[in-house]
Amino acid sequence: MLERFIPAAASYSGDVDQLVWLVTILVGFWFIAAEAMFFWLIFRFRKKEGVKAQYITGKEKHLKQWINIPHALVLVFDVFIIIAAIRVWVHIKQTLPPADRTVRVTSQQWAWTFQDPGADDSLDTEDDVFTTDELHVEKDKTYHFKLESKDVLHSFFIPAFRMKQDAVPGRIYTGWFKPTRAGDYDILCAEICGIGHGVMGAKLVVESAEERAAWLAAHAPAVDETATDATATDAASTDATSSDSTSAAAGQQ
Amino acid sequence: MLKKAYIGLLAVAALAAVLAGCGTAPATGAAQGKLVFNTCVPCHGENGGGNARLRAPAIAGLPEWYLVRQLQNFQKDVRGAQRDDMEGHRMRPMARSLYHPGDLEGVAKYVAGLPIVPQAQTMTEGDKAAGETTYTSVCIACHAADGKGMEAVGSPRIAGQADWYLYLQLQKFHSGMRGTHPEDTYGAQMRAMALTLADSTAMKDVVAYIRSIPVK
Repeated sequence: MLERFIPAAASYSGDVDQLVWLVTILVGFWFIAAEAMFFWLIFRFRKKEGVKAQYITGKEKHLKQWINIPHALVLVFDVFIIIAAIRVWVHIKQTLPPADRTVRVTSQQWAWTFQDPGADDSLDTEDDVFTTDELHVEKDKTYHFKLESKDVLHSFFIPAFRMKQDAVPGRIYTGWFKPTRAGDYDILCAEICGIGHGVMGAKLVVESAEERAAWLAAHAPAVDETATDATATDAASTDATSSDSTSAAAGQQ
Repeated sequence: MLKKAYIGLLAVAALAAVLAGCGTAPATGAAQGKLVFNTCVPCHGENGGGNARLRAPAIAGLPEWYLVRQLQNFQKDVRGAQRDDMEGHRMRPMARSLYHPGDLEGVAKYVAGLPIVPQAQTMTEGDKAAGETTYTSVCIACHAADGKGMEAVGSPRIAGQADWYLYLQLQKFHSGMRGTHPEDTYGAQMRAMALTLADSTAMKDVVAYIRSIPVK
């Protein structure tokens, strides 16, 4: 049913949806039960002529059971939720299935930069394709992503995948996903990262092998022979605090 | 009777509230730009004087036509979308947030009307005399002897701009981070000029000279 609102486009999207449903149903059941009991008690013991209100301490056993029994039942249901949540967590966050392809995802205020491994499926080679705010992935292939941040905390969030991962400056986080449904989806930042956080969006394109090959061919890096690296040496001499912002033209979008 | 009067009073009050809301005409032009400028303040400052630590340049007093062009370039990925363009990546989404009709033109008009803010010297390197030679042989054709730029050739004022920003932009043009997009006609011109500077020393020299040009 969640798919009616947000498409499920990764292999583990359904697992997360089931977990959401489990939590909703169990917590919803106890919410409704507690509210129903609450209002019934109010109605049952409403003001009546000739009946004097009593002060109840709740220490008597037959009164305490109204707290203790639901409390124990809630704890039992919590166990179900915890077991289900751990199973999903381990599957998504602590298991790393073999990758068909690895992409690098770099976050910064306020853009996403993606490094596709290119036709050789190997990162940091000459045919890598760099894009800003647009990630192309192939349907039914397992991807690893290397997530980095250049400045502050960000969070790599793909609602259609039900996947969210914080990006912490100085760390490289490796995660995975397997797209299972073609289409265009949103990539968002889910960690407040400054005034441009709300507009830090990108597009995810899940496509067939043929479509990806065509995209790769169209975006093959053009080597600019006039570019030099003479300027990449001493940016630090300025008073600014950001990290080095220069790069060779080769491979730019 | 009293009930009818009460309902009538409520209706009049509601109508008055609606009319009061409609009575405020939406701001346009520079007034609209002043409102929009609140988005720019966190990085560029209340006076548009920039912030070196955020690598946000001084924008106060820049020509309106130049501001419009650059904001449009940011919106269209002509500028700021290139790989590793840290500052451009910050500015691009902010430019895209100017999506209401008149926002972009209004903020450009407002910023162009702000008084130029004197910039502190942040770079100590650079040979002014050597830079002057470069400036008078390369830059002067477009940016003019007084560094005020020329609208006819699309070149902005650079006199009075922060030294770190001038140096950074020369680096970006030199490396191809700026001026390589097919739609960036003026950027391509500037990149060709930046490539005449042999190395970072030459860039620092010319920046040292530009810093010495009095702002008029």
